[in-house]
Amino acid sequence: MSDWDSHPPGEPSVVEVRTSATAALIPTIRAVASDLAARADFDLDAISDLRMAVDEACATLVDVAAPASMLQCTFRVHAEHIEVHAHVHAGSADATVSTDTFGWRVLQTLADHVEALRQDSADSADHVGPTVGIRLDKHAGMPPR
Amino acid sequence: MLDPTKPRPSPGPGDLGVTFEQPDARHALLVVEGEIDTLTAGSLERALTELLEDPSEVLVIDLTAVTFLASSGLAVLIRAAHQAGERRLRLVSTARAVRRPMEITGSDQLFDLYPDRAAALSPEV
Amino acid sequence: MTAADPEYGHLAPLLTEYASLAPDDPRRDAMRDELVTGYLPVAQHIARRFAGRGEPLDDLVQVATVGLINAVDRFSPERGADFFSFAVPTISGEIRRHFRDLGWSMRVPRRLKDLHVAINGAVSSLSQGLGRAPKPTEIAEHLGVPLSEVLEGLEASEAYRSSSLDEMLSSEQGSATVGELVGAADAELDRVDSRQALRPILAELDERERTIVLLRFFGNMTQTQIAEKVGISQMHVSRLLAQTLDRLRNRMDPDTRVG
Repeated sequence: MSDWDSHPPGEPSVVEVRTSATAALIPTIRAVASDLAARADFDLDAISDLRMAVDEACATLVDVAAPASMLQCTFRVHAEHIEVHAHVHAGSADATVSTDTFGWRVLQTLADHVEALRQDSADSADHVGPTVGIRLDKHAGMPPR
Repeated sequence: MLDPTKPRPSPGPGDLGVTFEQPDARHALLVVEGEIDTLTAGSLERALTELLEDPSEVLVIDLTAVTFLASSGLAVLIRAAHQAGERRLRLVSTARAVRRPMEITGSDQLFDLYPDRAAALSPEV
Repeated sequence: MTAADPEYGHLAPLLTEYASLAPDDPRRDAMRDELVTGYLPVAQHIARRFAGRGEPLDDLVQVATVGLINAVDRFSPERGADFFSFAVPTISGEIRRHFRDLGWSMRVPRRLKDLHVAINGAVSSLSQGLGRAPKPTEIAEHLGVPLSEVLEGLEASEAYRSSSLDEMLSSEQGSATVGELVGAADAELDRVDSRQALRPILAELDERERTIVLLRFFGNMTQTQIAEKVGISQMHVSRLLAQTLDRLRNRMDPDTRVG
């Protein structure tokens, strides 16, 4: 009997974590990812994969984040999968998430689905550069047949 | 010499515990403790470089006390495997956090894996 | 070492007198100081026996001195036993308690250690049966414990590990840690009158090797400290010491000569 039985079926539980975009805080976000996956009764390999995937996504984004900016990571916990959406405000106008790195290939292996996101700056006065993000999905265990 | 009775402080975030030992004439041993991520991958790289300079016949890396391995750490290990050349590196680890990423990326093929230190240091292998 | 020993002989009557003093006697403090100072070499000698276990000699001597003070205060001559047969175990006991207290602060609660072992065992057998990694609920059901305990155990195994948990786990698996093997070689050396045995070999070493050996065995420095002092890597120090130990062993016992 999993921890999540009490919430209405079909509606994901949502957890948002917002930290300074620095590598030192990524372990905290990893811990949240592990905790959510364990409570959603993911099998141990899936928990390990999600933890590593979230770490990879956050590390990639922290690399391109504007100085003194924030990293936002949102977890949507469904019955059999977790959807993660992380983004930062990039430090430069041409910043992107590079998809031909070793790290990205590892991310593709760990997650069931992963995509790089980019949104040019809106009219907002808050920040100048684009918003750069990564979305990844991970199933609870062996993929549904 | 490493003293098992001495309480060693546990590595904290951004710290990687790295210790070298020479258990016998044939083996050089690097013991790693803590989390290997972007903060600590550099320390691991420096330690592996030093290990590779050792002339011992067999090089062993004990990852038993490693609780997390990020892709940056994996990349460092893979590079070390290539640099080791003829001497295949021996890794000691049972933790899922280390074994799982190595298995799914196929990088476990680059090393000889052992479940514990005694097995890695056994004179028969 | 006995009461008749010329080195301590003069203290015996003083000790008897001290034991007879009333608690508020003004002479107590001065007499106690004289006794502790007089018997201090005993405390230092015992402290040295516990050296090389990762605790600085200074700290050990301090702890041993506390033991000596307790022995001086508690000794009663009418019991018949001579002071040393009472003081030596008192002082050693104080040092042993010091090590135990140190270990205690680092020791993981028994419950968490047992949980760790139980979870590992459950994961092992479940993985085989299921053909995949188990889920937390499956582990909890298998062990017959609440899910919250399994979640706590899993979380703990992802967190920074205390080295004592690590050591306890490896001794659980039955594999000797390398540290124990190396420590055994060190102990072997300590047993011999190493100074005598080392002398001819020290003469054969070059200056740097000789410095390293002296710093290790007589300066009681760790490999890292020696490395810093000599200006080479800890790895190099480890290697040089292993070589020297090897030569020593061969020299001291021709029957165990290797190669």
